[in-house]
Amino acid sequence: MPRIAQMVRWLVGRRIRTLRQAARAGAHARARQRVLALAAAVLILAGCGGGATGGGGEGASTPPAQGGAGGPVTITIGINADPPNLDPAMSSALVDRYVQNSIFDKLYDLDENLQVVPELAESLPEVSEDGTVYTIKLRQGITFHDGTPFNADAVVFNLQRYLNPDSARYSELSAVDRVEKVDDYTVRIVLKQPYSPLLYTLTDRAGMMGSPKAIQEAGDQFGQNPVGTGPFKFENRIKGDQIVLVKNPDYWREGLPKADRIVWKVVTDDNIKVVNLKAGQLDIIDTVPAQSIADLRSVPNLKVEIGPGLGFQGIYLNTEKEPFNNPYLRRAVDLAIDRSTLVQVVFQETAEPGYGPFPPSSPAAAASGEPPQRDLDQVKALLAQGGHPEGFQFTLKTATGPVTQQVAQVIKDMLADAGIQMEIQQVEFGSLLDDTDNGNFQAAALGWSGRPDPDGNIYPWLYTGGSQNDSRYSNPGVDRLLDEARRVLDMNQRVELYRQVMKQVHQDAPYIYLYYPKNVKAYSAQIQGFVNYPDGIIRTENLTKVR
Amino acid sequence: MLQFVARRLLLSLPVLILVTLLVFVLIHVVPGNPGRAILGPEASPEAVAAFNRAHGLDRPLHVQYLTWLAGVLRGDLGRSLVDGTPVTTLIAQRLPATVELAVGAMLVATLVAIPAGILAATRQGTAVDHTGTVLALAGLSMPQFWLGLLLIIFFAVRMNWLPASGYVPITVDPVQNLKTMLLPIVVTGLRESAVLMRMMRSSLLEVLRLDFVRTARAKGLGGWGVIVRHAARNALVPVLTVSGLQLAGLLGGLVITEQIFVIPGFGRLIVDSIYSRDLITLKGAVLVAATLVVLVNLVVDILYAWLDPRIKVTGGSR
Repeated sequence: MPRIAQMVRWLVGRRIRTLRQAARAGAHARARQRVLALAAAVLILAGCGGGATGGGGEGASTPPAQGGAGGPVTITIGINADPPNLDPAMSSALVDRYVQNSIFDKLYDLDENLQVVPELAESLPEVSEDGTVYTIKLRQGITFHDGTPFNADAVVFNLQRYLNPDSARYSELSAVDRVEKVDDYTVRIVLKQPYSPLLYTLTDRAGMMGSPKAIQEAGDQFGQNPVGTGPFKFENRIKGDQIVLVKNPDYWREGLPKADRIVWKVVTDDNIKVVNLKAGQLDIIDTVPAQSIADLRSVPNLKVEIGPGLGFQGIYLNTEKEPFNNPYLRRAVDLAIDRSTLVQVVFQETAEPGYGPFPPSSPAAAASGEPPQRDLDQVKALLAQGGHPEGFQFTLKTATGPVTQQVAQVIKDMLADAGIQMEIQQVEFGSLLDDTDNGNFQAAALGWSGRPDPDGNIYPWLYTGGSQNDSRYSNPGVDRLLDEARRVLDMNQRVELYRQVMKQVHQDAPYIYLYYPKNVKAYSAQIQGFVNYPDGIIRTENLTKVR
Repeated sequence: MLQFVARRLLLSLPVLILVTLLVFVLIHVVPGNPGRAILGPEASPEAVAAFNRAHGLDRPLHVQYLTWLAGVLRGDLGRSLVDGTPVTTLIAQRLPATVELAVGAMLVATLVAIPAGILAATRQGTAVDHTGTVLALAGLSMPQFWLGLLLIIFFAVRMNWLPASGYVPITVDPVQNLKTMLLPIVVTGLRESAVLMRMMRSSLLEVLRLDFVRTARAKGLGGWGVIVRHAARNALVPVLTVSGLQLAGLLGGLVITEQIFVIPGFGRLIVDSIYSRDLITLKGAVLVAATLVVLVNLVVDILYAWLDPRIKVTGGSR
């Protein structure tokens, strides 16, 4: 500190000396010098805050390409939030998966039609007669980014890490009893009981394979420098701003990846994201607000793609609290909402009306059921049965943001027609999650990004004590059916079971299913190889940029 | 002088500790559970509980606070709750952009405001003065995000003269750095200049009424000479106070500007860590921000003495 004081003194002193010497100097110069002195002093002081290493290289500032080939290809993708944790064992946000999918390969992947395809596995697993033993053959000759060989030991190491109760993957693998190495390139997963969603689970984070060496060295800091076998290697990151990945030259898929660098840029504001896409600062954006679609379509060198999604949105009703401990009132709210009008007003083509946990892309879509016709007479009858013929009042907690506000407003008006008064209370997202966890709400608008296996969209939500069951719904019949659907391997039989579940759930209405958001992506026409997957995750290995 | 600086720094320690205590209490009054906020809506309750246990968030508050404070006194700001990145790294990554933005904006503000203020004061009541006032008011009332977006749409989307966003450290590529920082610096600088200009104007008007100006004029000094050599120098004292406060405020981060221009700045770090309930990062960042404010104030105090010799920098009691 004293050193800095000296610096400042020297600076200021020097200024005074020069000023005295230049007694006749122009006044403007003097005023400017003062300003400069002030600025310089501040700069020096600020500079002592630690050796600032800027980190990120060229980042998203590559100017729009100016014809001519050659030069490395950088693709910049705008994402709406900063990925909290890139460690597959710790991650629990959708946005993590965007980036992880470029760094890590998984045992299995999904294709555009949600079919499971082998990735690090050589083929689909061999499943024993009783559905409890999965034998997985692995590809050979693959190495992690740090040179560690990929083999059965690595798979066992990763899966055992995910089976640790502290891992975020623990509940997804709850059916697994043990993981065994058969030989260097064969692994066996033994289940406690048959568990139909297992294969899909291995297409997500529980199937991501990290370098055992890097994990042992980094421990719980692995997310800061993730090492996988994927098409791109982690290069650097400025938290909250960007993540830079570079090409993995030893990638096992011939001729891939096509790009040299992928930059994930965090842009939280939708409008800013759209403007940056137009200006060429971003090549791809992960979400597009409904009101910007027409605008983006009118720009000749941009493309907009709308594809099916995996998730749903709706409203939790707290079945343990007034007024929604009364099933008639829950059902009244459910039937007073006209889903197709809601979607037309707020989303147009970026969502579909919904009445269950399974969107049209899901193999169990048929079990969701058709959204009901709005029937105010029936609503009135239900209110009378529930002991509130004149209607009642409740508060909806909803996250902040223009879209959630619009949805709440439209619903408020629809309910008002039936004499139901809904107050809208905006709550910051972190508090909203806390309130729904603790049952501190009457109704709360929260949805789900979705899972490819139907089980992931229904079991945690409706099973007694399920991790997403914030409605506190409990129905032994529903629990029985959900458990059975996990044991049955045939999808048609499972869909039939889900249909029975939904019949009961529509009667009880613990959760108001409203709509299925679609995946809307927009990108520059220079980008080739872009495919809009239902899981919303951008596969980067085939992306390239023509100039 | 050195004694004065050392004293001031020492005296600011309790202030800094008080600030962290205040932040700590505030953040714990805010509803929300760090484990849940960080792990997100899709994490199981078991995972949330395990997270909070692993990071000692289930221990009594005073224990958590004192543990953290003990670390700070050892020069260790701790690790981010989100993924374990050292907080010092996070701050070092974010501070340069914000310092550049703040200093640049204050430069622009001063260069615009001081001449404009002098002009308005010397032409009091004329069209020039009124125009200046109207412009200053407009500058103050215009929402940052709106002006910023308009400028981006014009300069980046329409004209393609400047990039719409992105930040390149000045050490990596000064030209590209200037290109990306130009718009945010100008937007922020113009806004701050409105305040400074009003300040300069009223302060100068006051000084011009003082005796020594009349004396100087009587001695036959011409109009501009008096104004610039004698009056402006005295008039700068309150302006300096305000610009010091402004700079300190800007160093605390320019959240909106940083968001519009996608700059990895300090303000976004603080706001993000509030949203994600990353208490450790938040405490570290606020501590650094408060330290910066203290330092800027100190520099302003030293500069007073130079601008106006009647103000003495002393060690207090004399």
